[in-house]
Amino acid sequence: MTLKINNEDIYLLIEEALQLAPKKININSKMLEIEEWDSFGHLEILVALDKKFNGKIASIDEMGSATTVKDIIKLLTLNKLI
Amino acid sequence: MSEDLSQLFVKIESIDYYLPKKIETIETLIKENPDWSIDEIKKKTGVHNRFISATNETALDLGSKAADKLFLKNDIRSEINALIFVTQSPDFVLPTSACIAQEKLGLSKSCMSFDVNQGCSGFIYGLAISSSLISAGLAKKVLLICADTYTKYIEKHDRTCRPIFSDGAAATLISKSKNSNIGPFELGTDGKGAMNLIVENSGARSSDKKDDFQKKKLFMNGSKVFMFSMNEVPKCVENLLIKSKKKISDIDLFVFHQASKVVMDNIIRRLNIPAGKVFCNYTDVGNTVSASIPIALKDAENKGIFKNNKLVMMVGFGVGYSWGATLMKWGGK
Repeated sequence: MTLKINNEDIYLLIEEALQLAPKKININSKMLEIEEWDSFGHLEILVALDKKFNGKIASIDEMGSATTVKDIIKLLTLNKLI
Repeated sequence: MSEDLSQLFVKIESIDYYLPKKIETIETLIKENPDWSIDEIKKKTGVHNRFISATNETALDLGSKAADKLFLKNDIRSEINALIFVTQSPDFVLPTSACIAQEKLGLSKSCMSFDVNQGCSGFIYGLAISSSLISAGLAKKVLLICADTYTKYIEKHDRTCRPIFSDGAAATLISKSKNSNIGPFELGTDGKGAMNLIVENSGARSSDKKDDFQKKKLFMNGSKVFMFSMNEVPKCVENLLIKSKKKISDIDLFVFHQASKVVMDNIIRRLNIPAGKVFCNYTDVGNTVSASIPIALKDAENKGIFKNNKLVMMVGFGVGYSWGATLMKWGGK
């Protein structure tokens, strides 16, 4: 079932996962361009997404290499999660 | 008189393990890599200490020492008729570590000996093979050695691998049993993930550049391997529960491969297993690859966590990708 989640919610989720101040993440944000979004930070994002989408993220193999906000949103959309 | 194979059960008779003398703490890592955050590494990996083999100390040496410890308590080496050596850091591509260990340990010439090239699922694969050999009447007592020295493949500044992997070996004696049993087994493979955890230039398919041949470097795509673990391991556990007609509440203790804190926490979360039912020792031992489950079993036994007839689920997973799980009643006769 598609949750009523928009891009802003995803930005907020990533900010919380990386313990960033609000409004630090936007559609152009990328791994390694933000200090906290390193390989460890990336795992935090994956866990936060998996919790938010009730365990449906782990089966999306490509999510492991989605290192930009655009890629994450694209995969969520493709998999009909948002 | 021929034996009734349908009545043959197998059990783990004893386990012992050996860890190298050198301990590398997280503080050592930070000294060598000042840009790494001690808190972040502790929080994600949960590993505080790792064991590092000496330059001239190999998995074969560690495995032999683990077996020697086992024999010190019960010298049944003349009765062992199968030796399985699980390793991905053999002394040589050929001959096998098992053949060298057979001679080194003084095992009988009638003892079949072979290597199994598996990583973190290796103990479960070893148990499955041991169980099959005993059930088929091909062996009565199997010595299963799981030993690895991944740290030899890891670069000093590799933040993905170095804080996790540890060297170590475990020797497990598996034999016939009257009333206890290991199984059923759930085993699986997904070779699509083969390149996500790999030691490049380690076999015949090496780089064209001659100089690269010596550069055996461990590479792990951490997030891909993490996604595999979160996805496949819970399915493996659920399939085994279905196969054995059990529920999570029927299992007394879960002993997973001690991958790292973030991996373990999320497998436990996805399966909704009560934390008290999961044994963890990665903080003090690190990730010892195929030896991690038997080392954890021994530590749990030493801590008095196991009582006779406790139902234990063991789950290994990792490089390959490869995974396996099985059930065992602890302490059967």
